[in-house]
This record gives sequence, C-alpha cells and structure tokens, in this order.
Amino acid sequence: MQLQVPGPWSLLLGRLTLDQIPYTNPILQVTFAVAALIGLVIVGAVLYYKKVGYLWREWLTTVDHKKIGVMYIIVGLVMLFRGFADGLLIRTQQVLANGPHAAGYIGATHGFLPPFHFDQVYSAHGTIMILFAATPILTGFQNIVVPLQIGARDMAFPYMNAVSLWLTTAAAVLVMISLFVGDFSQAGWVGLIPLTELPYSPGVGVDYWMWAIQISSVGTTLNAINMIVTIVDMRAPGMTWFRMPVFSWTTLSTNIIGLTAFPVLGVALALLGADRYLGTHFFTAGMGGNLMLYTNLFWIWGHPEVYFLILPTFGVLSEVIPAFSQKPLFGYVTMVAATFAIAGISWLVWLHHFFTMGAGPDINGFFSVATMLVGIPTGVKVFNWMFTLYRGRITYTVPMLWAMFGLFLLLVGGLTGMMLAIPAINYTVHDSVFVIAHFHCMVLMVVCAGFAGVTYWFPKLFGFKLNECWGKAFFWTFAVGTVTVFTAMFALGFEGETRRLDWTFNTAWKPMLVVEEVGMIIYVLSLALFAVMLVVSIRDRNKQKLAADPWETSRTLEWLTPTPIPFYNYAVTPQVNTRDELAWRRKYGMEHTKPDAYEDIHMPSNSGLPVILGALAGIWGFAMIWRIWWLAAISLLGVVLIVIIRSFDKNAGYHLQPAEIEAMERDLSIGAITAEQPDRSHHIITHAEAH
Amino acid sequence: MAGSHSDPLAHPEVRQGSAVRYIAGFISTVVLMGAALVVTMRHGLDYQSLVEVVGGLAALALLSQAALFYGLDISRAQIWKGVSLILTVPLFIITVGLTVWMFQSLDQRTMVMPASNAAASQPTLLQ
Repeated sequence: MQLQVPGPWSLLLGRLTLDQIPYTNPILQVTFAVAALIGLVIVGAVLYYKKVGYLWREWLTTVDHKKIGVMYIIVGLVMLFRGFADGLLIRTQQVLANGPHAAGYIGATHGFLPPFHFDQVYSAHGTIMILFAATPILTGFQNIVVPLQIGARDMAFPYMNAVSLWLTTAAAVLVMISLFVGDFSQAGWVGLIPLTELPYSPGVGVDYWMWAIQISSVGTTLNAINMIVTIVDMRAPGMTWFRMPVFSWTTLSTNIIGLTAFPVLGVALALLGADRYLGTHFFTAGMGGNLMLYTNLFWIWGHPEVYFLILPTFGVLSEVIPAFSQKPLFGYVTMVAATFAIAGISWLVWLHHFFTMGAGPDINGFFSVATMLVGIPTGVKVFNWMFTLYRGRITYTVPMLWAMFGLFLLLVGGLTGMMLAIPAINYTVHDSVFVIAHFHCMVLMVVCAGFAGVTYWFPKLFGFKLNECWGKAFFWTFAVGTVTVFTAMFALGFEGETRRLDWTFNTAWKPMLVVEEVGMIIYVLSLALFAVMLVVSIRDRNKQKLAADPWETSRTLEWLTPTPIPFYNYAVTPQVNTRDELAWRRKYGMEHTKPDAYEDIHMPSNSGLPVILGALAGIWGFAMIWRIWWLAAISLLGVVLIVIIRSFDKNAGYHLQPAEIEAMERDLSIGAITAEQPDRSHHIITHAEAH
Repeated sequence: MAGSHSDPLAHPEVRQGSAVRYIAGFISTVVLMGAALVVTMRHGLDYQSLVEVVGGLAALALLSQAALFYGLDISRAQIWKGVSLILTVPLFIITVGLTVWMFQSLDQRTMVMPASNAAASQPTLLQ
C-alpha cells in the first residue's frame, strides 16, 4: 500500500532522480568541494601510509571500549563542526537580511539563503547539535571513562557497544548525505507538526530527519542498556555503590533516562512514519488524528533528553573541580541524591515546552512548579561545587577553566530557565530568541564540560597532554565568543525577535545582530585555535612522557592505570578501598604498588560484523528515505542475517597469559623511565626491578 | 555472576529462552495486534467500546510479550526483571496519566461544546 508521492518514482531508484542533486547551488558546490578535498586527503593518507589493514584491525572492528569511545568523540566533533557551520550560516543570514532594504545575493531576496534553504539549515543545526554532536561526545566519555572508573575490563557487552557506535555513525552519515542528495527537513529539529506530514513536506527532507534520528536512537538505547549493566554488574571488588565516582553515578542516572525516554521518541517517529508512508492519521488535524499528541510524545522524550545531556556534564564537573582544587568533592552523598532527583523530576516537566497549548491554569501551574523543582537539586550541586572550590588549592589548568565557565553558563541558563518556568513570562517570550539564548547557555555548558573532559582525560588515553598555552587561547576566544553572541541574543529576545527568521524585518535589531555576528567571528577564531592546539600537541607529543596520573592531583580509580592505557585496562583487577581511591593510595604511598602475581585475562575478540551492520542500517535508511523498496528489503534482510550469523558465532574471546601481561606491564614502565619526572620514574624503576 | 562470566550459555536468562516460547510470543503478538487493527479498520464499534476492546487487546499483547519474550516470572532467578518492570510503573503512570489529564483539560477548554452541557463546564475563551 504505497502512498502517492508527488514527483516521479521508479522501481529501480525510487524517488531518486538527477534533479535531486543540488549541483547548481553555489553554497553546496563549495561545501562539496571542501568535503571532497578533506575526504581525499584522509583516504589518500590512509593509502599512502598503508594503514588500511591497521584501520580495519585496530579501529573499525574493535570492541575495545576506549577506542569505541574515541570514535564516538571523533564523530561528535565532526558533527559539532558541521553544526557550527550551520550556526554561522544562520547568524550571517540574519544580519545580512535585516530590514526591508536588505540586499539579496545568489538567488535570495534578502541575504544569501532563500527561506527553503534557511529552514533546512536551522533544522539541521538543531538536530545535529543535540543528537549527533553532544550525544556522541558524551556517550564517548561514558564509554571511555566508566569501565576504568569502576575497575572493569570492558563494557558488559563489548560487541553491542560496537553496534551502538556504528548505528549512530550510520545515522550521522545519512544527515551528511542529505547535504548533497535531496534536501533536509524544513520543520525544525523538533519536527513541527503538521508541517512534517506528507502534504506539507512532500519532499524527502523530513524522511532524512526521521530515519536518521530513528537509527541513532536505537544505537543510543542499546548503549544505555550496556552502560546500566556495566555499572550494576562489573564493578571491581570493593567498589561499593557509595565508593563509585560521581561521573559513574551520573552515567547510571543518565542512561536510565536514556533507556526509558528514547523508546518514546521511537514510537513518536514510527507513528509519524506511518502517517507519511502508510497514510494513517495519528497526527493529522482530521480523521481522528491529534497534532498535539505528536508534540506531547516528542517532549516526553525531549525533556528527559535535556537531562540525558546535562547529567554526564555534571559528572565531568564533579571530576574536574575536585582534581584541580586538590580536595575531595564536597557533599558526595547529596551530589548523588541530587543527580537522581534531577533524573526523576525530568519526567514531570515536559509540558513546559508547550505552555501555550492552552491546557489551562491547573496543568500549566503543575508543570511550572515541577519545572522550578529542578532548581533545588541543581542548586545543591552548584553549592557543592562551590564548597569544593572554597579553600581548595586551585590550579587554573585548561580543564578547570572550562569547568568554571561551564558553571557560569549553568547559572545564566538556570536562572533564565526559572524565568521561563513561569507560564506568564513563557507566554510573552514563547518562540522568541530569548528561549534560544537560554537553552544555548545550557547546551554550551555541555560543550564546555565536553572540552573540559577532552583536555582532562586526553593524556590518560594518548599518553601526551594537549598544549596548555594554545588550549587557553582556544578557551578564552570560545568563552568571549559565547558571551558576545548570547548576551546579544537575550537582548534581541526582549526586543521581540522570534526564532527561525530567515528575514529579520525589524531594523532596530540590527546593532545586536551585528554583535552576534562579531561573536561568531570570535568563535571561528577559536575553532582555528583548537586546530592549532591539536596540531602543536601532536607534533610535540614525544617531548613529554607521562606517569599514570599526568595531572598529579587526580583522585579517581581510572588514573591508576599506566599511561597510555593498555588495551586490557588493569593488569590485575584493582581492590578498591575507599572513595577517591587514587587520592587515598597517594596519601599512603601505594600508588605504584605492583601486584605479586598476574592471572590470565579473558578478552573479547574483534568483530567486523558491527561495522557491516551499521553500513546496512545506513543503506536501509537511505532506501526508506527514497522509497527504493527492493534495496530496503535486501538491506533489512542483511541486518537479520548478520544477527543470525553472530548468534551462531562460537568465538568466546581469548586469554592473555600471565607471562605476556607481565612483559607488557614491564614495557609500559620502561616507557615511563624516560619521563621528565625523575622522582616518579625512580619509583617505577625500583618496583619494576623488584618484580 | 562469577561462574557464568566465561560461559554465556550458563546465564539463567539465556537458559530460559526457547524456540517454542519465541514462536508462541511472535504468533500471539501478531494475532492480537492484527485483531486490534481489524477492529479499528472496520469502524463497527462505538467509540467507548472501541477504546475498551483495543485497550484490552493491548493489555493481552503486553502480557504475552512480558511472559513469552521477556521471560517475566516470579522465580528468584528473575527478580531483576520483576524489579525493573515495577520501576517503570511510576513512569507509565506519570506519562500516561499526565497526558490524559492535559488532553482532557485541553478538550474542555478549546473544543466547542454543545449548548446542553455548556453550563456545567468550565468557562472557556469562547464564552
């Protein structure tokens, strides 16, 4: 029962025709040229250095949680860059297309983006930043850090972990393909209903948006299951619940949210898909459908999703701030309680996204109060961080700077959130850029914690620190850019600018729009500095040899492993004695203690199936978008076959022998002998010789 | 947990699975959901009975899936399944309950009502 769709359809290619490739658009021509150039350089480099085999064996087929985490973060950073480019287009369009006399360029009446294109840009910006940048970056951290923090060898389900990664990646690739084949949704990242219904969005844009989110949300749900099981089941001996680092606690709570919330999104999008593909009327205005039901379902997922992003961020801050204050975290138990309080309340507040629906004062009042309740546990957290800083021996390293700026953004975002929780204010500023500025403070706090985490855990993973000087330059330009853009945006919100305007009609907005654009230019500068930081750090990587704890003030278990971490994590599963295990061991001089004997380690084998499964899921998504039914059927059959093949796979991993482990551990400590920290190296020498 | 780590087949959850259960679960789900679809498409029932019948079929499908796919029972080995299911009950009540409440209120406040019961209802912007 195929619905009639406008435009041609053929059995072989579905809706795909040559016209669907926007090769006449100059913006996309440049984008394509740049993307093709970067792609060629990467592929060329891999071929030139003969790294195809290495890439396949060590990365694409890996089930190692650390490498999967790194790949999550790389996907997230690439998408962050894409999302930023969209943001830059939005800001530039709005400042160019100001007032009735604004000039038009390359085919647009005002500015340089016609509404058709501008709408896709803001829809892609939101979708990408939330689901394909912030979520993978945070998932990456959880993957890397949590097993190490709880003293585990790997995640509970290493194979499923790889499947989650490749599903997310396949979805991100679909979003990128929409740039050059067809178009993207014009209905906002939330999928404004009924604009997403087939009669109002007859193209493939909404389908790209819908299937990409659907595929990535399966990956996220699987990852949530994996994380919860890992934390519940895989903690090292002695790692009782209340010795667990706060980042692991926040990961547990955030993944409980993920596991319970993402299926709601799946259902909402599946019902929308039924409307678009089968002709049902779940969300249409007539035939028994209900538009607001979609909005309701979307935000039942959407608001918990906000806390899905913010809670691990709080976890990162709770690791970074004590490490660089040289004090234990203040109020550990209240921090854990506050984490779960926020997770619980996250389920009670979703209607505040549509106060203006008209549900009445009782309901608006209920959700308003529930929303304000979030301020209590969040306030507890902020005060805990403050008391951790109080009389601490603070060192302003790059991760600490990011954490402090994150706190500032949390304060601004949180207080404006309290304002928006009041329905009367909400009615006034609903859909204005005031709301946009508010939630950008919150998501930029996520970004800040992301960069805090990257700089904090980077040396643990790769064995060298990111350059401190360029890191600070990157931080300060980013912070100044953020304040410049969003202060102006708050002001514009009060001046009545509504969101998603392709043409900013009011000339009174011009000064603040210019300020925003200046902020964007500062952001561009900060991105350049980020690139310089990476290049300089990688160039100088051999100038430093780092000990197990490169910061020398870290507190939690993950810093007990050698730097960089061997693939088996811990040579011997650590016995945990207290909260902040490393700080405790350092205090009693036991940080370099070597085990008396090694036992063999059971490791999972690599598998090529997850990456193939991801590729098939991506092809399936593409086929569904373009309604190429035969391709969809074949790729779905492929997915089923892969699952069956895997279930008959008897490969139960392999065992590392004690002698091998001892040799590898010795190599690692010999590496540390050449470190520029003689006293630490000395310790390692004596212990290495002793054993 | 310790003993079963090296042999995945020793997990009580894995031991519980069987082809008969999966096939029975699959067939019962398809039949129950198909029945709900047929009942809806035929437009044979009035609104109240339709909601009751479809709701009843959904509850049956839920039960058969919980028992046959999910392996929910009251044995000691499966206690985590019982606990995790119970933990989702508050979420179910919150999301469905609050949704019903808000749409009920929305309906009263925004839909034009017949004159006969207009007096008994809350004032709306239309009056």
